[in-house]
Amino acid sequence: MLSRLVLVSGGLVQASRSFHQSSQSLAPVPPLPEKGGKVRHGIFPEELFTLLYPKTGVTGPYMLGTGLLLYMLSKEIYVINHETFAAASIGAVVIYGIKKFGPSVAAFADKLNEDKVAKAQEVKDQAMASLAQGIEDEKKEQWRVEGRHMLFDAKRNNVAMLLETNYRERLHMVTNEVKKRLDYQVQLQNLHRRMEQEHLVNWVEQSVIKSITPQQEKESIAKCIADLKVLAKNTQARATV
Amino acid sequence: MMVSFFDQFASPSYLGIPLIAIAIALPWVLYPTPPARWINNRLITIQGWFINRFTNQLMLPLKVGGHKWALLLASLMIFLITINMLGLLPYTFTPTTQLSLNMGFAVPLWLATVIIGMRNQPTVALGHLLPEGTPIPLIPVLIIIETISLFIRPLALGVRLTANLTAGHLLIQLIATAVFVLLPMMPTVAILTAAVLFLLTLLEVAVAMIQAYVFVLLLSLYLQENV
Repeated sequence: MLSRLVLVSGGLVQASRSFHQSSQSLAPVPPLPEKGGKVRHGIFPEELFTLLYPKTGVTGPYMLGTGLLLYMLSKEIYVINHETFAAASIGAVVIYGIKKFGPSVAAFADKLNEDKVAKAQEVKDQAMASLAQGIEDEKKEQWRVEGRHMLFDAKRNNVAMLLETNYRERLHMVTNEVKKRLDYQVQLQNLHRRMEQEHLVNWVEQSVIKSITPQQEKESIAKCIADLKVLAKNTQARATV
Repeated sequence: MMVSFFDQFASPSYLGIPLIAIAIALPWVLYPTPPARWINNRLITIQGWFINRFTNQLMLPLKVGGHKWALLLASLMIFLITINMLGLLPYTFTPTTQLSLNMGFAVPLWLATVIIGMRNQPTVALGHLLPEGTPIPLIPVLIIIETISLFIRPLALGVRLTANLTAGHLLIQLIATAVFVLLPMMPTVAILTAAVLFLLTLLEVAVAMIQAYVFVLLLSLYLQENV
């Protein structure tokens, strides 16, 4: 049922096609003819003249027209009356109008269409220009990328220096701390020894002082006095000399 | 064959079939439907441009509510202008010479504008019956006059179109008859009369276009007051 409908509609499309087509398919849509059908004297299609040319030559259609007109007039199929003059008048107006304004109106219509096409073309051109610009920018970026390694080297050096500095600082700090601890231990040991020495000296002094008996003390004091007397005598002797 | 000059205004029929249907349908045939193409031929391009331009101009003074009438007014304009111009061809029947057709357009459309005005903004619509700045003693008289003017509008619309076209066609027929009759007797006078006929035809072309435009313009004016 649907296939029959398709066939019928396809047939209808073929039937409604005008003269100037070549392809037999529905798509792509066949293009419009560039110019209208050729006409002679404004209303008679050129196909009539082409049709009659083989049999009656160049003057054939004109003879046909004249004969037809005279036949209708003579047999009074067409009667000349006041309407003929009205027809002549309006005919003159129409022909004058077409001859005078025809080309400008056609040019106007063509311009309307051309403007439409130009707008679309401009969109397309702008898109292409922006894409070309994009390509240029991309190339520049690629060139920039090539010089990137220098930037990275500098940055790497920078970072390495920072790390090194940090490491050194911390090493320094660690050394100081360790030294402080060791100094403390050294001082502690010194203190210990000094205290031991002092304690020992004190103890020795105490024990010596304790060991001095009063007898010894008297003897030593007498001896000191005797020594002093002798020294005084020596000094006096030396002074007088 | 014309028995009298007024036969051209008789509604044509052939074997009992009224041909006015063909006469009224003819303008529709002459304007092809734009196909689904982006770029069209010259005829469709110009037709589209003209209708767009005309509708744009017509809708300029109207508020948004009036834009619903765009399709109606534009198609009315195209219809009237085509019928008027086709009527200038010889041996044709012009439907707009019939008062019935023109009143058939004028009365419903005018009435629609009045009813829209009365329904949506009755105060403003009634306010149109009194122009601004009238002296107080004149108010009652002026209201009566404005009401009469309001009701005369559809009559004026219809009769204006009918009368202009009928008169024009009659004049063309008369002067053409004069030329026809004078041609064997006084050829020079006939030629002068033919020149008059030519000028008259030019005038009639202008009148045909202007009357259609005036009809639609006045309707849009009535709409502008009321929408």
